[in-house]
Amino acid sequence: MSPAHRRTKSSGPAPPAKTLVLDNGAYTIKAGFSGPGIKTPTPSIIPNCLARDRDKKVYIGSSLSACKDFSEIVFRRPVEKGYLVNWEAQKEIWEHEFFDAKAPLHCDPKETGLILAEAPNTLPALQTFCDQVVFEEFGFARYLRCLGPQLNAYNDIQSIFKPPARSPDLTSIPPAEILMLVDSSYSHTTVTPLLLGRPIQPAIRRLDVGGKLLTNYLTRLLSLRQYDMRNDTYLVNEIKEATCYVSKDFKADMEQTWKGPKGDRRATYETGGGIAKDYVLPDYHALTKGFVRDHDPDAATKLKELTKGKPIGASEDVLTLRNERFTVPELLFNPSDIGLRQSGIAQQILDSLSTVPMGLWPGFLANIIVVGGNANIEGFIIRLQMEMRALAPAECFVRVAKAIDPIVSTWQGGAYLARDEDQLASLSVTKEQYEEYGSAWVARKFGGR
Amino acid sequence: MNFGVREVALNSRANAAPGWAYVPDTGVNASVTALQPSSRKRARNQHVASHQETTAKQDAKILRELVALDRENHRDVSIPVPIRHRDNAGRVSHGKVTPNVRKILQSQKTFANHLSDYEALGSPLTASTALTQPSATIPNTPAARATPGSGAPHLTSKGTRSHKKKDPTAVSTPTPLRKVFSAAQLTPAAVKSESSTADVPMPDAPILSQGNGTIPAAHPLDKDPLLVSRIPGMPSQTEIDKLLAAPPLTYNEARGPWVEEDMRKPVRQFCEICGYWGRVRCTRCGGKVCALECLTTHQEECFSRYGA
Ligand SMILES: [Zn+2]
Ligand SMILES: [Zn+2]
Repeated sequence: MSPAHRRTKSSGPAPPAKTLVLDNGAYTIKAGFSGPGIKTPTPSIIPNCLARDRDKKVYIGSSLSACKDFSEIVFRRPVEKGYLVNWEAQKEIWEHEFFDAKAPLHCDPKETGLILAEAPNTLPALQTFCDQVVFEEFGFARYLRCLGPQLNAYNDIQSIFKPPARSPDLTSIPPAEILMLVDSSYSHTTVTPLLLGRPIQPAIRRLDVGGKLLTNYLTRLLSLRQYDMRNDTYLVNEIKEATCYVSKDFKADMEQTWKGPKGDRRATYETGGGIAKDYVLPDYHALTKGFVRDHDPDAATKLKELTKGKPIGASEDVLTLRNERFTVPELLFNPSDIGLRQSGIAQQILDSLSTVPMGLWPGFLANIIVVGGNANIEGFIIRLQMEMRALAPAECFVRVAKAIDPIVSTWQGGAYLARDEDQLASLSVTKEQYEEYGSAWVARKFGGR
Repeated sequence: MNFGVREVALNSRANAAPGWAYVPDTGVNASVTALQPSSRKRARNQHVASHQETTAKQDAKILRELVALDRENHRDVSIPVPIRHRDNAGRVSHGKVTPNVRKILQSQKTFANHLSDYEALGSPLTASTALTQPSATIPNTPAARATPGSGAPHLTSKGTRSHKKKDPTAVSTPTPLRKVFSAAQLTPAAVKSESSTADVPMPDAPILSQGNGTIPAAHPLDKDPLLVSRIPGMPSQTEIDKLLAAPPLTYNEARGPWVEEDMRKPVRQFCEICGYWGRVRCTRCGGKVCALECLTTHQEECFSRYGA
């Protein structure tokens, strides 16, 4: 076996021709192959769950797309609080997606490298488990476990501020010099300052507000005020994604949506100045997916008739959202609204900065990038920009932007890294090294970047 | 301020709050731990009373709600891995299952279980510290050969770095940034000027270039009094190396704080019925409502729960 043409240090086996890049999130896995020979790497988005519908049918990962009725569906997720905890379930999903004969992204791990993104500040035991399963069970030829936020540095960060983005088939570039990466996803929101693609570990902060909490909070509000949605969080998540926004002026929006005192209804109440929206619920027969429209005051009357014993499906089921639209994502900025004793994202960024030398603050404040599903909530970026502007030193230029596709940004960064054989080789561990030096050595190597 | 002492109330059904009947009374849920203030030692997190004094009962309610908001499913469910898959039936085997892997696959521990295992280790001289030693301490060729897949990582005497200790190059006192910066007396020319357009992204003016891969090296004239910059100087390469070599915080240490500035603000209260500002307090349960109409609605539930 001949050494790879550009490698000088090692005379080991040739590097794997392709790398499976995995952003193994709590809600979805972002997965796909990349490598020097792959022109335009593209990710698949795979639900990271075992799901069981009301008819007791179990769906694994991507097979969830076959589900037509999401009412009362329940989930088992191998990733808990952002960390890969349950390997029994995770293995089942990975087998189904990557290793089974009919797997959608089939590969032979023995001929494939792996880049696996993990959330910051995980427990060492979970990292060890992960390394052991990757090498001892699946036998990947080469492996890099690193922070998800870190991979984002391999994207073309300046192009996010100054479109157009580079085309995905461009060759890789060195990681961004300086980057404040906010990852707001299903389990939590993390703040990670990065220099040259490497995290400043003591400055990483976590806010325990993520998409799951927002969905559950919306579920609670809707269940108290309108329908019992507690067994329909899948649907509530869709309602959240379709209707929620981060307010630019919370107090003003609150006034717009208040009904006013009894007998003195406010004129703006019905439409809430455009804030009131109706969400037409799917019945999973005639209507398989719900949709939003401007609030129709008559829908309430229809609704009342409906609840008087008409069969569901004979008419529309409508939820009206008013202050729920903006009080839910507000938790990212004011966690104390539900009694959670943490400051909002902007203060967490500032707290992170307080542990790095002042000379770096202007660079970090001017390069704040937001990734993760919550970055797609309307108004999120503007609000964060406003709050950071108000908190940051007046002399500093503050610039907040969302990644071009916040959900796959981490994956995309990993895909760029995978195309730079020299960089990837220097960061990764081969199966031979694992077998020779053991898991403690691997853990130290990954921990020491 | 300490949630810990209030857990007693959690198990008391009599304290179930109105409007929240669906919150499963599961007692002390493991995830409670994660929602509590961090154990990171930060002076400003201690001894600062919140503006909003809350009763033990209300705090128990908040805690119960936070636990409910952290749930994956509304009810407890168990979804076993489908049986036909259990023995690799009809699938390419990856080879023999090692004892490590068997143990890992059989584990049904939750994150909270793992976290308490980790915390039980306690001392900084634990495996975890050894695992997170910066690479600078690792010889290029591993000196000691570890057995592949040995369950527990080696404990080494090198692992003395405390997670709690901040990097010596870091700004040790978390002074509010604004103060520090005005003290630095920046001229508008030194950094981007604070103008009315400051909120508008300036895409053509990146602060640092992208992609040349280096932090500017020190220059002999850096110290020239005529040329000295009024921006806080960029840290030296040594400082940056130290920053990047610092080990990760633990899970609890990394939990973002409730900063003093926010603690001092009154906690916003919302109407439990309609979500508008909570300006009226129910004398029976302490719950907040916006006005008379919602109070009436609330008290119907409140009465049926507690008796009129
Ligand atoms: Zn009200
Ligand atoms: Zn009451």
